[in-house]
Amino acid sequence: MNKLLIIQICVFLLFSGTLGGMLAYTNVYEEVDSGITSVLCLSCIKLTPVTQLEFTFDVAKGQDHSGFVLDSLKEGPVFITYREDVCIACDEMEPIIQDIFSVYFEKEDTFSEVVPIDSSNITFVHINIDHATAEQRESRYIYDKDHIGGVPQFTIITLGYDRGFIKPYYATIYGTLNLNTDKERKELLTKIIYDGIDLYNQNIEGYDPNK
Amino acid sequence: MKFQIKRIIAQISILITANLGALGIKTGFCYPFFYCNACPAADAACPIRAIEKSVFQGSFAWKLFIYPFAILGTVGVISGRAVCGWGCPIGFLQRSTSPVSRKLRKYSLINKLGQHKIEPYLRYLKYVSVIGLAIITPYLIGFMFTDICPVGFLTGTIPISILNPGGYAPTSYFYPALVIFILFIILIFTVERGWCRYFCPVGAILAPFNKISFLHIKVNLEGCTHCHACSKICPMGIDVPTMNRSPECILCGKCIDQCPQSAISYEGFK
Repeated sequence: MNKLLIIQICVFLLFSGTLGGMLAYTNVYEEVDSGITSVLCLSCIKLTPVTQLEFTFDVAKGQDHSGFVLDSLKEGPVFITYREDVCIACDEMEPIIQDIFSVYFEKEDTFSEVVPIDSSNITFVHINIDHATAEQRESRYIYDKDHIGGVPQFTIITLGYDRGFIKPYYATIYGTLNLNTDKERKELLTKIIYDGIDLYNQNIEGYDPNK
Repeated sequence: MKFQIKRIIAQISILITANLGALGIKTGFCYPFFYCNACPAADAACPIRAIEKSVFQGSFAWKLFIYPFAILGTVGVISGRAVCGWGCPIGFLQRSTSPVSRKLRKYSLINKLGQHKIEPYLRYLKYVSVIGLAIITPYLIGFMFTDICPVGFLTGTIPISILNPGGYAPTSYFYPALVIFILFIILIFTVERGWCRYFCPVGAILAPFNKISFLHIKVNLEGCTHCHACSKICPMGIDVPTMNRSPECILCGKCIDQCPQSAISYEGFK
């Protein structure tokens, strides 16, 4: 065997072995799928979503509300913020979120916490899709009402009246909310949160979580 | 069948395979070529996006860093940059613009630019782009190649804007990226395979593998009559008889089809 062939075989074994080992023994495949392929990269498209603040009952086709959302909804509205590790718009928005909820966290954290706002309890959920469970990641698609697919995504789930039934009712907004200043962003987020609280208080008496 | 017919079949097949996301198929693989995961039909990740993400703002996610190199290294050691010539959708695009750039060669300014002594050094820009914009600036200041990537503009921004009219607004990077995109279009129409030659970061990662890849192009110098038909047809502007596993060669096979002496051939496991 000549020297080049030995080098070729060694380099091939090194790279293919690394690739095979990573696919077999690490979660890198899932990480790339859920963190890159399935997330619209707003940096790549140099655009930010323009979304309407609009509550709806319609979740993504064929899906139910997430279990963790329905559990928390018994206690009050649920506010979820979705992000990924590398997301400049998320970095811009998170100080505003922390300010509104007075909850402080690192970008890698995925957690939920009940926060009292205006004598109501609101469940604040922070989901970093690079460090979340499959159920938490999937919930992003359920509430992606405009099929944007990108982060940051902010969703508030409350209760609404729909043809004789009280049901989960939600609104989702995206990116930097197509607003230029942190003040405007905070005002919009605060508005959506207070709308969610009002709707919840109006409808909680008729809500049966088992229906 | 001539290699160029086989190549167009391969390029169309891979273009379709790379866009199975249109059917809802999404995978956790990285493309072994340059294609944007923000394309609405993409079914895999851009390797440059994975690298940037792994080192963003001082972090180091080793799995995400090694993974694209493992994929590109495996493909590279088997076939070198053949994936640029036979698979890459952006290569396919440049193949369609190459008749225009060939015609423009007769204008002296463009011809002079192509033959200027600085031209070979410009080819190192692609290594600067991968190390500088995909590793160093994302790590140090959070500025990424994808923020200004013209391929992201072509395959992501434009189709998403068409599919969702009024659904998105430009970010601060939009207009610089638009200017770069226009320059990219001018480049691929004026210099044959201009993107591959000077800027493609994935090509830069694959290029060194040409030196050791199993598949390569061999020139039988004893049969060569030095007619230079191969070098004239080469889309990468290589002097084929002297190239000796050039990192610039995309193994498209045009020189093989062109050689009147049949002195050029693909070589495999030899």
